[in-house]
Amino acid sequence: MTAIRRLVRPEQLREISLLILIVLACLFFSTQINGFLSGRTFARVSTSVAIITVVAVGQTLVVLTRNIDLSVGSIVGFCAYFVGMQFTFDRTIPPAAAVAMAIGVGALMGGFNGLLVAYARVPAIIVTLGTLAIYRGLLVEYGNARTVTTANLPSWLVGLQPTNLFSIGDIDIRLMAFIAIVVVLVFQLGLGYLQFGRRLYAIGSNPDAARIAGIPARRTVFLAYVMCGALAGLGGFMFLVRFGDITIVAAQGLELQVVAAVVVGGVNIFGGSGTMFGAMLGAVMIGTLEYSLTRMTWISQFWKDALLGGFILAAVAADAIILTRIRKFWARTELTLAAPVSETPEVRRAAGD
Amino acid sequence: MEPVLAIRRVSKRFDGTQALDDVSLELYPGEVHTLLGENGAGKSTLIKIMTGIHQPDTGELLLDDKPISIANSAQAQHYGIAAIYQEPMVFPDLNVAENIFISHQNRGAIMRWGNLYRDADAILKRLGVTLDVRSPARGLTLAAQQTVEIAKALSLKTRVLIMDEPTASLSAHEVAQLFKLTRNLRDQGVAILFISHRLEEVFEISDRITIFRDGKRISTGLAHEYTIERAIRDMVGREMESFFHKTLSQPGDVVLSVRGLARQGVFEGVNFDLRAGEVLGFAGLVGSGRTDVALALFGIAPPDAGEIYFQGKRVNITSPEMATQLGIAYVPEDRRQHGLVMPFPIVSNISLPTLRRYINRIGLIDFDRERRTANEFRNRLKIRSESIATPAGKLSGGNQQKVVLSKWLNTRPKLLILDEPTRGIDVGAKSEVHAMINDLAQQGLAILMISSDLPEVLGMSDRILVMREGRQMGIFSRAETTQEVIMTAAMGQEAAS
Repeated sequence: MTAIRRLVRPEQLREISLLILIVLACLFFSTQINGFLSGRTFARVSTSVAIITVVAVGQTLVVLTRNIDLSVGSIVGFCAYFVGMQFTFDRTIPPAAAVAMAIGVGALMGGFNGLLVAYARVPAIIVTLGTLAIYRGLLVEYGNARTVTTANLPSWLVGLQPTNLFSIGDIDIRLMAFIAIVVVLVFQLGLGYLQFGRRLYAIGSNPDAARIAGIPARRTVFLAYVMCGALAGLGGFMFLVRFGDITIVAAQGLELQVVAAVVVGGVNIFGGSGTMFGAMLGAVMIGTLEYSLTRMTWISQFWKDALLGGFILAAVAADAIILTRIRKFWARTELTLAAPVSETPEVRRAAGD
Repeated sequence: MEPVLAIRRVSKRFDGTQALDDVSLELYPGEVHTLLGENGAGKSTLIKIMTGIHQPDTGELLLDDKPISIANSAQAQHYGIAAIYQEPMVFPDLNVAENIFISHQNRGAIMRWGNLYRDADAILKRLGVTLDVRSPARGLTLAAQQTVEIAKALSLKTRVLIMDEPTASLSAHEVAQLFKLTRNLRDQGVAILFISHRLEEVFEISDRITIFRDGKRISTGLAHEYTIERAIRDMVGREMESFFHKTLSQPGDVVLSVRGLARQGVFEGVNFDLRAGEVLGFAGLVGSGRTDVALALFGIAPPDAGEIYFQGKRVNITSPEMATQLGIAYVPEDRRQHGLVMPFPIVSNISLPTLRRYINRIGLIDFDRERRTANEFRNRLKIRSESIATPAGKLSGGNQQKVVLSKWLNTRPKLLILDEPTRGIDVGAKSEVHAMINDLAQQGLAILMISSDLPEVLGMSDRILVMREGRQMGIFSRAETTQEVIMTAAMGQEAAS
């Protein structure tokens, strides 16, 4: 017990309990769905989770600062459609340019959100609810009732979706999943090691103290939105790769899955705490449930949504009620454990006794 | 005559401090009873006990000679005890009549607007004021809002009305009106507990006076038995504590010069020079504008008139970032709200304003150097914690204050502004902080220290600037002043000695 306690810090309990929940859910679904524990399921789920994860990483940056971005679904849809449309005009666009285009358009849209939230001081929920509709409107206007189809896309792009990087047994790690993992790792390290990451946490947990400490709060929040938009743009590119056929309702409602993943993943909706790993696990949980409930054909679509919603509520409520208590207990035992340590000569010297 | 409300031997302790120590007080119907005391003397705690926000540890409250216990403000209201404060608590979007009757739960489920307006009118008439009961509270002046609060108290058949610094934000004319209302209420048999820091007012309105100091009742008597001198003596009358080890030294060059500094409606006409190695104390009552001057100097709420010279150069400080870059550090009064990021470990709190210095060549945070700095400060300032990884929220008040100090000292400031540096920390940590301030001044730092603790201001400062209601009342040198002189200036009396 002591060894575990030394290894696991109380704030990591959330991630671990979520991991256990994911395993339990998989075990449960394997008894309900034929051939659930297979490479095929993994390939399917991992692709859809990959998109949610990438967007959720961006959302986490914003949520850490006590804000929210509800427009990510529309940004994903717009970027997917926009890049797909460029290919119908010119198939020879190089891959790097296509990705850059998606990220660039996304960043621009995120920047507009950031400008309004950070500099014009409009509440984030209002700004992004507005841009959710505006960006979708732009897509409808730009789309002009046309549809991007797989036939219009270059073969390298269509071929990306089933691309396998490597396999472990019959589990294939696809390119899409790999991209998501890289994004999570890069941003997790950024949160820990960059000044920018520290600033996000500081602004989210005590905005006044952050301001007095001379942190450029507005610029930081603005940049968080730009990055959130850019990652949604990347998500849009992945969306295009995954589906190929893009209509003007592409990725509608994705923002709800993303916010759910972030919250289920233990990122505090009031800012100041949370990790990218947590957001990723949240995305895995949401993606697994979504896929499994779809596979259970005897559950109607309406009930599927209700069950998903019920689960999200349960997960957050469980955190508020049970996990906080466990964490408190954990922290208390840690304190008594630490008491004798303060008697070492080194500490006593430090305390000046 | 029997008292309406009697407080018998009430004591109340908050984790480090004895807020009330065996206090007794009687309130009689038809009297204005004034409670006097410095900030922190226990007045607020007593009010909170009377209105059910706090429960006494020992002692009892008697209403009409029967013991009562007040668990919450609804119960206080039920017993006929109401309070109005400096900032009236009205609902800005409701109109005057709705505000007056907001706490009446027994007026039925259906709003009868006709009755509501008629009753509200009747109450205001009884008070002798004219006010449109249909106008929303938002547009009313502070004085009118207070009238609404008084009308509310009257409509609730209040027997004991607590008025907590009701005059602090009113003009002279409005004060006169308020006093007319107050006397009117008194003549109707209400017992009024009045609190104010303006002594002229106190002597004008009071029938009786009670003086608190350090949580104890020092004296009670009829108003005419007191003189201003006696009241001040009773309020401050403790001996200077002996543990201030102030080292006097020759101050260096002028670090900060302030000329005619003002911010509309908050403070005006602030002039002073501050030299390296000097401690300038800022004394005055809460709300006298001391903190606002500090906020202006640190760029949080920039001034709109006057000049600031820092190290000989005229500067225009518009943001905390800029102030920090110039070499100004500000340790705020409210550690929880403004000083620390509570969930952050000590080390991250210390490096927060200076994080730029801990970035290595490839742009990452150099944790080793960050930890080294934090450990240095932990040893130097004797921060008692398990390690530098302990979250700031888990530390005691004194240790939290040391973390805030470390954080700002690490910016290597030329000017350190301390706002109530020892508020809410225990005696031991307090003298440590004092020793630290003394050391820092010795090392040539210019220090501006705001404090409501008179012995502290007198013990630590080379000179003391006294403010009252946004104006500078004077600068007194350490050698030629006493607690009485400072308190007299802070309360707006001519110096008695």
